[in-house]
Amino acid sequence: MYAALPPIPSLGANSIQTGACFVVRLEIGDGRRGTRLSASTRGAKTNPTKYRPRIIAAIVPVFVYVIIGVVVLAAIWAVLIFNRLVRLGNEAKRGWSNIDVQLKRRADLIPNLVEAVKGYAAHERGVFEEVTAARTAMQQATGPAQAGEANKQASAALGRLFAVSEAYPQLRASENFQKLQDELTDTEDKIAAARRYYNQTVYQYNSRLQSFPDLVIARLGAFHEREFFELEQPSDAQPPSVGFSGDAPAQ
Amino acid sequence: MTLEEQVRSNRIRSAMLLLSFGLVFVGIGAAVQALYGGVSLIVIAGIAFAYAIFSWFANGRMIASWTGARLVTKEEYPELVRAVENAAIGAGLEQTPQVRVVDDPCPNAFAAGGSPETAYVAATTGLLAMMNKRELESVLAHEIGHVRNRDVRLMSLAAVLVGVVALVADLALRFAFFGGGRRRDGGNPILMIIGLAMLILAPIAAFGIQMSLSRRREYLADESSAEITGDPEGLALALWKLKEDKTELRHANRATAHLYIETPLNNASGPRAALSGMFDTHPSLDSRIESLEKMGGFQLSALVDTQPRLA
Repeated sequence: MYAALPPIPSLGANSIQTGACFVVRLEIGDGRRGTRLSASTRGAKTNPTKYRPRIIAAIVPVFVYVIIGVVVLAAIWAVLIFNRLVRLGNEAKRGWSNIDVQLKRRADLIPNLVEAVKGYAAHERGVFEEVTAARTAMQQATGPAQAGEANKQASAALGRLFAVSEAYPQLRASENFQKLQDELTDTEDKIAAARRYYNQTVYQYNSRLQSFPDLVIARLGAFHEREFFELEQPSDAQPPSVGFSGDAPAQ
Repeated sequence: MTLEEQVRSNRIRSAMLLLSFGLVFVGIGAAVQALYGGVSLIVIAGIAFAYAIFSWFANGRMIASWTGARLVTKEEYPELVRAVENAAIGAGLEQTPQVRVVDDPCPNAFAAGGSPETAYVAATTGLLAMMNKRELESVLAHEIGHVRNRDVRLMSLAAVLVGVVALVADLALRFAFFGGGRRRDGGNPILMIIGLAMLILAPIAAFGIQMSLSRRREYLADESSAEITGDPEGLALALWKLKEDKTELRHANRATAHLYIETPLNNASGPRAALSGMFDTHPSLDSRIESLEKMGGFQLSALVDTQPRLA
C-alpha cells in the first residue's frame, strides 16, 4: 500500500517551503524596485550589477510556480490521505456494527434459553444467575474492548449452561432447546467472522494512524484509534500498538 | 496487488471486454457483409450493441437460467444460507448476496451478477451433500471473494458475451456452408475467404478473452477465502474433495466454465477432454492446493489422513 504513495517529500518540509514562499515574494518586490532603479541609471554602461535584477526577475516567477505546484500537490496528497483514513474508519465502523448486531442477537437469545432450561432444571440457579449477569454485562458494555470481555464471559457461562443441560435428555430432545442452541451457534460463528473482518480493518486503520505522514493528517482531522474486539492472537496486530485509546467511539 | 487495485483493474477490464466484444461483432458483421452483402454490418453491430447493454444489466439472470440455478430461502437451505452470510460478514460486504442452488449431483459452485448488491452465489446440491460445514464455508468464501474483488461482473459479462459470439459465428458459418447467400455468384472470392476466416476466428478470439480472465483470479479468490474464513486448510480440504470427485456437471458449457470454483469440463470425455489442457479456464487444483499450503504453512497430506476416505 505504501508503494502507491509518492516518495515521501514529508509534509513538514512542505510547510517549511510554504514559509519560504513569503520570503520569495519579498524578493519579488526587491527585484522590481531594482529594475526601476536600473532603468533610471541606464546610461552607466560599466555598472556590473545592471543585469542582476533582470536575472532575478526572470528566475523568481519560475521559482514561485514550482513552489505553488508543490503546495498544490501536497494539498491533493493530504486530501487523498484524509479520504483514505475516512474510508478505513467507515469500514471499521461497519465491521463493528456487524459485531454489534450479533452481540445484541445473542443477548436476546439468552433469556429464552434460560427459560427453556428452567423448565427442566429449575434448581440449577447458580448457572442461571451467572448467565444473566453475563448478559447484563454484554448489554452495558461500551466500546469493543469491554464488549469483548463481556462476550467472553457470556461464552463461558453459556458453556456451563450447556454442560448442565447434558444431564437432562428430555431438555436436549426438545425442539425449542435445539433451535435455540442452533441459533446461538450461528451467532457465535457470525461474531467470529465479523471479528476477523473488524480486527483486520482496525489493524490497518490504527497502523495508518500511527505512521507518518498519515498521523499528521489524523491529528489535524481528529481521527482516533479504534479498539480491537477480542484480540486473541497477537499475529492479528503485528507491531504492539501504542496504547489503545479509550475514547474510540463504540459505533 | 491490493484490493483497490484489483477492483480498479476489474473495472478497466470490464470496459475492455465490452470494447473487444464490440470489435469482434464488427468483424463478424463485416464478414457476413462480405459473404452475403446488404447492410449486415450495421444490423449485426446494432444488435450486438443492444445485446451488450442488455447483458450489462441482466447477465446474472441469464446465467441463472443457463445453469438452472434457482433462488432459495433460508428455510429451505439453512446451512448454505448461513455459510454465505458468514462469508459475507467476514468479507465486510454491505449485505449478503442472494443464494441460488443448482440441482446437480456434481459438486461445484459459482458466483454471478454485477455489483455486490446484485450478485448471487450458487452451489450445486452435490456440493451441499459432499462438504462439511467448514469446507462449505471455505468454498462459499471463495465465491464471496469473487464478489468482493468485483470479479463477478467481469466474469459474468465474459460468460454471456463469449457464449453469444460462439453462437452467432456458428450460425453464420452454418449458413455459409449450407444456406444460400444472396451474393453467392457475384461475390469477391478473396473477400469471401477472409469472411469465412473471420467467422472461424471470432469464437477462438472470444474464448481467448475469456481465458485471459480466469486463471490468476482463481488464486486471488482462494487467497480471499483464506482471509475471510481464516482457514486455508478448510479450502484445501474442499479442493481436494473436488479433485477426488469424478461426476460431471450436466449444465456445463464453454461459456460459463470459468465461473465455477472448479472447471466443470475436465471430467468430460471425447474431443472436449482432449482440448481441456489447452483451453483450461482454471489452474489445476493441485497447484491451487499447493499455494494454499504455502500460505497456511501446512501439508494437506497430513490433514487428509485424518479425514474419512471418499467413496
